[in-house]
Amino acid sequence: MQFRLRPLPRLLLGLSGLTLALAGCASTGSDKPLDLSQGVPVGAVLALTSNANVYGQDQQLGMQLAERWFKGKVMPIRLRIEDGGGDEQAASQAFNLLIDAGVVALIGPTLSQQAFAADPIAQRRGVPVVAPSNTAEGIPQIGSFISRVSASSAVIAPLSIKAALKRDPSIRRAAVFFAQDDAYSSSEAAIFQSALAAKGLKPVTVQRTQLNDQDFQNQITAALRLKPDLIVISAQAVDGGNLIRQLRELGYKGSIVVGNGMNTPNIYPICQAYCDGILIAQAYSPELDSAINKAFVTLYKEATGGAIPPQLSAQAFTAYQVVAEALTRLNRHTPINGRPLIEVRQELMQELLSGRYDTPLGAIAFTPEGEVVQERFHVAEVQMEPGGRSGRFALLE
Amino acid sequence: MSSGVEHLLQVLFNGLASGAVYALFALGYTLVFSVLGVINFAQGALFTLGAYFTYLLIGGAVGSNGALAGFQLPLALPFWLALLLAGAGAAGMGLLVEATAFAPLRQRRAEPLLFLISSLGAGVVIVNGVQLLMGAESYSIPAGSLGRLPAAVLIGGAQVRTVQLLLMAVAAVVLVVLTLWLEGSRLGKALQAVSEDPVTARLLGIDAGAMIRLAFALSGFLAGVAGGLVALSVSIAGPYFGIGFGLKGLGVLVLGGLGSVPGAMLGGLVVGLAEALVPAEFSGYKDGVAYGFLFLVLLLRPRGLLGKATVSKV
Repeated sequence: MQFRLRPLPRLLLGLSGLTLALAGCASTGSDKPLDLSQGVPVGAVLALTSNANVYGQDQQLGMQLAERWFKGKVMPIRLRIEDGGGDEQAASQAFNLLIDAGVVALIGPTLSQQAFAADPIAQRRGVPVVAPSNTAEGIPQIGSFISRVSASSAVIAPLSIKAALKRDPSIRRAAVFFAQDDAYSSSEAAIFQSALAAKGLKPVTVQRTQLNDQDFQNQITAALRLKPDLIVISAQAVDGGNLIRQLRELGYKGSIVVGNGMNTPNIYPICQAYCDGILIAQAYSPELDSAINKAFVTLYKEATGGAIPPQLSAQAFTAYQVVAEALTRLNRHTPINGRPLIEVRQELMQELLSGRYDTPLGAIAFTPEGEVVQERFHVAEVQMEPGGRSGRFALLE
Repeated sequence: MSSGVEHLLQVLFNGLASGAVYALFALGYTLVFSVLGVINFAQGALFTLGAYFTYLLIGGAVGSNGALAGFQLPLALPFWLALLLAGAGAAGMGLLVEATAFAPLRQRRAEPLLFLISSLGAGVVIVNGVQLLMGAESYSIPAGSLGRLPAAVLIGGAQVRTVQLLLMAVAAVVLVVLTLWLEGSRLGKALQAVSEDPVTARLLGIDAGAMIRLAFALSGFLAGVAGGLVALSVSIAGPYFGIGFGLKGLGVLVLGGLGSVPGAMLGGLVVGLAEALVPAEFSGYKDGVAYGFLFLVLLLRPRGLLGKATVSKV
């Protein structure tokens, strides 16, 4: 007996088959030969919207400057920047979009919280990731395709505690504030507490906030009742800036140490004159005496009318540089045009980790795990200009 | 004064300060809800606009990322004047929202859900427009904008920021003025008549369309003023900063009783106090406590604290 399908089931079956076939094509998309006719496709996922946009905009500028600087010096790159918003879902979607579009490597996402969600996608699909600003512990450990140029908070954060205690050895009562709904802040707050413990200080209080909080009156008045003489803040720029302003307005006069999330001039308009005197450890110094840093600072000043580049822009520039130089080296010894994307991605990751790079951050390399190895770190004090409209990160000796 | 009383007073002020902002927000929602029976989801965007207008009118410059990078108005108004003009600007935008997102649907007698989506869309467009023009960076109103007033004052041992006292005062004044106006003026009574029964109000010669526009303008004004004051208190955290306040204001509106002006104020203060009563070590969970409290109240009193019971005629 001959079995005949009616038109509708036949159509549905046909569509299912087509869907499966397309899915099959998608799953083997990374086997496609790499087409370099318009440059090597590289993707970046930055927080251009949401409360984290203050970082994404710094990073976008850093990458644009890198594109301009390295044009003609490395193999042509076609950079595609996608908005990763400020949450995990948006970053994951942007990662998927760019991977499907056939990028050989990804730069981003902006926040550590996002990286813990988006990086496993790149890892599963075998796409190298260079994080320009993820400082939480455990980022490179997500997988063999994940690396970062942003040194871990565990390395940097204790430096500012040390500097605060050196400046005022009489400090005895530290209070810690951190944004509990943010992976980076939680991770960094734990590091700060360990650094305090190493100096024999147990926090008199640990106050939890949230990234979207803007009014900290409850937490501040509770903390100030315990009369702290050092306040340590691990938060992002907007909430952290507001916290500092309100701390000072409510009468706190002691030292303030802040974490990497506030490592941006975007805090100036928020805490204004109250930003003055806060201490922060940094992975970048605009004063570093190297040819590439001088070039970067000049480019940045030209683009912004004379502003001093922040760490986030320098790290984004560096992330682009690492990918571009690794690609160029790889292409030099094994031309990548026309080769399967999957192979290029794998070899690029090996090449990327094996290189040494002379960057605006100084000379950097990577551990086999993808962790950045950086030689120099700095501690800066924010010094605001009279009127509190602008300021600078002045390096401490 | 004992430290226990001082602590209680501190909690009370903390709660009133947050509650005043929520209440101002909820009053704006209430005005529109009372005449149209729908919620204007663009209220958060009008709040954002009020903050940006205030910033520009006091002479603030646009940062380096927006299409208006470096732009600065050739004036620097005193804060209070800037705040009032910003409120007027937000009121104008409220009218625009009414004309574009509400009036066409009203003419077609669309489902209430469509008004929500339409106003949400208008809000998103406004916020995106702000980001396009002003960039996404944060802006602050200079700390000295209140003249020689101190940054904070000590009241019975409780530290309170001056700007928060102002927010409480403004909320109280708005409540009193709005109540007196609604109860004692012809225009206020006409607005109430439209909110009770638009058809009968029309038969009585009241221009219902004009009353609806008035509600949107007033609601936009309140949102704009609240936005400017909050910007002074905590800075403008980017174009999205009205959204969080908008959600809380919505909760307050429901808690106080949909369409009730005193209810909106009471709801704001109750939510503010509920948040302030959360021990400081757990204040990261204050939203959960506030919304949990809201849930409990609605479970026991579904029409909200001061809402009127709905009577169905069969």
